[in-house]
Amino acid sequence: MSLPLPTRRDILTRQRAMGQRIAAVFPQFYPRELLRAYGFHPMELWAPPVAGDGGATEHFQPYTCAIARAGTAFLVQTATTDVDLVLVPHTCDSLQGVGSVLRDFIRPQSPVLTLYHPRGGHAFDTNFLAAELRQLAQHLSRISGESVADSALMEAILAEEQADAALAGLYQRRDSLALSDGDFYRVVRSREYLPNDLFLALCEQLPTQPATPPTGIRLCVSGIMTEPMQLFDELNALGARVVCDDLACGARRLYADGCASDPYVRMAQRLLSTAPEPTRSRGLNERLAYLTQKMKAHQAQALLIYDIKFCEPELFDIPHVRQHFQTLGLPVQHLEVEPGNDLSQQTRTRLQAFMEMLK
Amino acid sequence: MTALTQHARYIFNYHCLGRPALRALQWQDRYRMWRGRQQAGELNPLNALVNAKWLLSRHYLQGRYVNGIKKVAWVTSGAPSEILRALGFYLIYPENHAAICGARKLSGSIIEAAEHEGYSRDICSYARTDIGALLSGKNAVGGLPKPDLLVCCTNICQTVLYWYKQLAEYFKVPLFVIDTPFLYEQWQPHQIDYVKQQLEALIATGERVAGRSLAPRTFEQVLLRAKDATELWLQILDMGKHRPSPITAFDEYILMAPIVDLRGEQDCVDFYAGVLRELQQRVDTGHGAIKQEKLRVLWDNLPVWFKIGRMSRFFAERRVSVVASTYTYAWGEIAPLLKVDQPLDSMAKAYLYPILNRSAGQKLDAMVRMSRDFSVNGVLLHSDKSCKPYSLGQIDQRDEIMRQLGLPALLLDGDHNDERSYSNAQAQTRLDAFIEMMEAA
Repeated sequence: MSLPLPTRRDILTRQRAMGQRIAAVFPQFYPRELLRAYGFHPMELWAPPVAGDGGATEHFQPYTCAIARAGTAFLVQTATTDVDLVLVPHTCDSLQGVGSVLRDFIRPQSPVLTLYHPRGGHAFDTNFLAAELRQLAQHLSRISGESVADSALMEAILAEEQADAALAGLYQRRDSLALSDGDFYRVVRSREYLPNDLFLALCEQLPTQPATPPTGIRLCVSGIMTEPMQLFDELNALGARVVCDDLACGARRLYADGCASDPYVRMAQRLLSTAPEPTRSRGLNERLAYLTQKMKAHQAQALLIYDIKFCEPELFDIPHVRQHFQTLGLPVQHLEVEPGNDLSQQTRTRLQAFMEMLK
Repeated sequence: MTALTQHARYIFNYHCLGRPALRALQWQDRYRMWRGRQQAGELNPLNALVNAKWLLSRHYLQGRYVNGIKKVAWVTSGAPSEILRALGFYLIYPENHAAICGARKLSGSIIEAAEHEGYSRDICSYARTDIGALLSGKNAVGGLPKPDLLVCCTNICQTVLYWYKQLAEYFKVPLFVIDTPFLYEQWQPHQIDYVKQQLEALIATGERVAGRSLAPRTFEQVLLRAKDATELWLQILDMGKHRPSPITAFDEYILMAPIVDLRGEQDCVDFYAGVLRELQQRVDTGHGAIKQEKLRVLWDNLPVWFKIGRMSRFFAERRVSVVASTYTYAWGEIAPLLKVDQPLDSMAKAYLYPILNRSAGQKLDAMVRMSRDFSVNGVLLHSDKSCKPYSLGQIDQRDEIMRQLGLPALLLDGDHNDERSYSNAQAQTRLDAFIEMMEAA
C-alpha cells in the first residue's frame, strides 16, 4: 500500500485515549452522528479477518454470508473487551439473524442494539425512522449515562454532513487524485473507522495531479464490498481502471444533507437519501436507470459485479442487470467471492478473460 | 377478448364444467381413500385431506378464468389479505403454488428454468419455483392468472421484497410493500403506527386498482370470518396435544392451504369446522393419526415439500407422530389478536406478530412452550437452506432445547423446495439415530 493510513487498531487506541467508547457496527446504513454525539466512536465490521471460522459455525449454518459469520466470530473471539456497544442495523435476513442471535444467545459483555430500516418506500417512512432513531438515542443515553441536547445533536449532524460532503467530493475529483484504485478505495473505506477530523484532514492531504481521465478499460464495480482489496491491484495490472462504483461500502452510502430542523427527522432524511440499491423497495427500473446514468456519465465500458456468496438482495437483481446492460452493449461479469480469502486463481482467471474480451 | 366473452368463458368453464367435475373427482378421491385405508400401513389419513384438495383445486380452477372477471392480486403468505378480499380481489399466493409444485415433484425442472435465466441457486427455492414457472410456463395448477396488483409483506422474510420486485418488473404492475419492523423485543407504539399507516395506504391503493371503495360492512364480515377461521385453525392444531394425536404436522401442512389462501371466506370457516369435528371424533374414539403412537416430535421450520409423503410414512412406520409444527402455528397465533371492532389497529399487531417476525429467543420460547404443551419426546429442526430467517438461530435453539428440556433435538439439513439440497440417505440415517436417542431417553 502506497498511501499511509492509520490502522483500525491505531484509531481504536487513539479514541480510547480520548475517552471515547467504541461501537462495533455491522453494515450498512446507520447514523454515525448519533453515535458520536453520545461519545461512541463507530468502527464498522465488514467481514473482519478471523482465524479459521472463528467459532462462527457454532452459531450459524455454512450457508450464512461471510459478513454475518466473520462479524459474529470477531465479536465472540477477539473484540469483547475492545467494544462498548454493538449496533446491528436491519439490513437483510442474515443481519437480522445476527442481531437476534447476539442478543438472545451469545450475549456479549457489551450491549447489542438494533436499528430497523424502513423499506416500504412510503411517504411516512421518514417519520418512522426518526422514531426508531429516538428509541436508539434513548438506549445510547441509558448505556452512556449521558443526555444530548437537540442543539448538540444538530452540531454532530452538521459535522457528519461535512465529512459526507468530503467523501462525495473525493468521488467528484477522482480524476485529479494521484491515487491508484486500491488507494482511492482505502480512503473511501476509511470512513468505516476514522473520526471525522482525521478523515477531513486526509481528504485535504491527498496527492493531486492535473485532472486527466484515466486510461485503459473503464469499469464500474457493483456489489457489497471489495475484499480482498488486492482486487484493485489486479484490475489495474490488467489495464483496467475503476471509474465509478455501486458498492455498499462505497457510493451507495453517499448521503445527502438533511433539511429538517428536528435532528431525528434530519438524520432519517439523510439515511433515506441514498441511491437506489437492492435492499429497499425502489423498483428495479429505477436502479437500472440510475446505474445506466452513472455508467454513461463516467463512460464506463463494462460492469463488474463483485458479490459475496449467499447475498440474496444482490443475487436477485443479477439477471435483470446483466440483461439490461448487455442490451446496451455493455458487458457484465459476475463474480462471487468469500471475503476472508485471498483473491483466488479462479477469480484472477475470470478477470483476465473478461479484460481480454474487453480489449 | 371482450368482457362478455370473458364472462361467458368464466361461467361455462368454472361454474358449468369445472366445479361439477371437481365434485366428481372429490367423490373419486373419497372412494380411493376408503379403499386405500387397507394399504395405508401405519397411517390413518384424514377425510379432510380430500376436502382440502377439492377446496384448493376449486380455487385454482377459478383462477384460470378469473382475469377480466375480478381484479387479481398476488400476495405473500403473511400479507393482510382481509383488505384485498373485502375489495373483491381474487388472491394468489405464489408460495402456496410453489409448495404444490414441490409436493408434486415438479419444482426441479421449474427451478432449472429460473437458474437458466441467471437466478442463483443460493436464493430461496420458492422464489426460484415461482419465477421459473413464469419463465417456463410450467405449473402445477393449469395456469395462474395475471396480477393487477402485487402485495408483499416483509413479516415472513426480506426475500419476498426482492422476489416481488422481480414480479413487478415481469408483469409491469404496481407493487405495494407492507414493511413490518422485525420484533427483537416487544412491539413499540411507533412500530404499530407504522404498520397501521401502511394498511391505510393499502386500502387506498387497493381501492384505486379495484375501482371501488372498501365497504365497512364487507370488511367487517371478512375480518370476522378470518378471525373465526384462525380460531378454528388454532383449535385444530391444539388437538395435537391429545394422546394419541389425531393429527400430524404432515396433515397440517396440507390442511393449512385454505387458512393461507382463503382466509376471510365462509368456505374456509366451514372447512375448518368440519376438520375439527373429524378430529374430535377421533379423540372421542381414541384413534390417532398414526395407528400406534409411541413417540411424539415437534417440527420446526417449513416442511421438505418434495418428501412430505415419504417422511410421513417413515415416521409412522417407526411409530413416531410429529404432533406439532412451529410453521403451521404462525397462522393460528394471529387469531386472538384480530379484533373486529378495531380492524386496522388489531391487524397491525397481528401482522407484526408472526413467529418469523420475532427474535430467535422468542421463537425458542415458543418451541419450549410447545414441547411441553404437546408432551414431545424430541424436537426436529429443519435447517432449511432456502429460508434463512427461519433457520438462522436454530443451532443455538437446538442447544437450548437440549439444555432446558433435556430432550433430544436434531438439526436436519434440507430445503423446502430444492431436491438437490437434500440427501435422502443422509437424512434417513440421522433420523434413525434421532429416533434411537428418543427411545433411549
